[in-house]
Amino acid sequence: MLRACLRLLRPAGRTAFHTIHLADGLTRAQHRRGARAGPVAVACSRPHTQLLGAAGFVDVRETDLTPEFASVTRAWMESYDAHRPELEALLGRDTFVARQAERRSQLGAIEAGLLRRSMLVASRP
Amino acid sequence: MAPEGTKAERQTLDRFIARYGVGQNEATRAVELAVIGGDWGANGYTTLAQADVLGQVLGLEPGTRLLDLGSGRGWPGLYLAKRHGCTAVLSDLPVEALRAGAARARAEKVSGRVGSVLASARHLPFTPDSFDAIVHTDVLC
Ligand SMILES: C[S@@+](CC[C@H](N)C(=O)[O-])C[C@H]1O[C@@H](n2cnc3c(N)ncnc32)[C@H](O)[C@@H]1O
Repeated sequence: MLRACLRLLRPAGRTAFHTIHLADGLTRAQHRRGARAGPVAVACSRPHTQLLGAAGFVDVRETDLTPEFASVTRAWMESYDAHRPELEALLGRDTFVARQAERRSQLGAIEAGLLRRSMLVASRP
Repeated sequence: MAPEGTKAERQTLDRFIARYGVGQNEATRAVELAVIGGDWGANGYTTLAQADVLGQVLGLEPGTRLLDLGSGRGWPGLYLAKRHGCTAVLSDLPVEALRAGAARARAEKVSGRVGSVLASARHLPFTPDSFDAIVHTDVLC
């Protein structure tokens, strides 16, 4: 997908994106726990800065957004709870409960230092 | 994104289709305003302040051609098009999400410069050099 993006951009065109990923240097067990607690697509092989470089992008910059990731995950949980009756009526009770449980385990993994979120910015040469 | 065609990828997509199928109401709007700071149908963790940073680093302005991959209902591509006056293509797989984005584009009177394309980010139906900027939020691993 990064290579495709490079092709679609005009020369000097730029990409900027947000992505959730596993922390560096995790043990196997931590890696498994982080991957289970994050969105399905999280188990990426290499850091994004490297993937972007390998795809041919230049001026690659990464900004850590993990503290905001934690606070936004918590905000989704709290705000859902605050509107529980209406949201249960809309989504069904099972979906509501499952979604909140996912958020709780994701927040646990962020706070344990397993899951991170970054902004990446890079340019086509 | 999970590896193409895997069970994990199909499951992810089914989840998103189910999510967008439910639609929005007063409660989801109130939640999104509280959490994200906007009401564009966001489905991830990109706040309004973070979307504004994306617009800034991408140097968006009238005439810029922006592509949003996995845009869902148009967050952040539709919002950025409205704010910066640029052109945007929203692309995703669940048709309900793109429909909601197109309706909002009409309501915001920007449908003349915001298009939707139903496509997988793995097989993008665009010609080379078509965009000045590409954005995606919480789509790619
Ligand atoms: C977490 S949501 C984020 C949506 C929106 N960008 C936001 O920030 O609110 C991830 C989005 O990626 C889309 N997506 C996942 N895999 C995709 C693929 N292979 N091609 C296109 N879109 C995909 C999903 O349908 C979903 O809308």
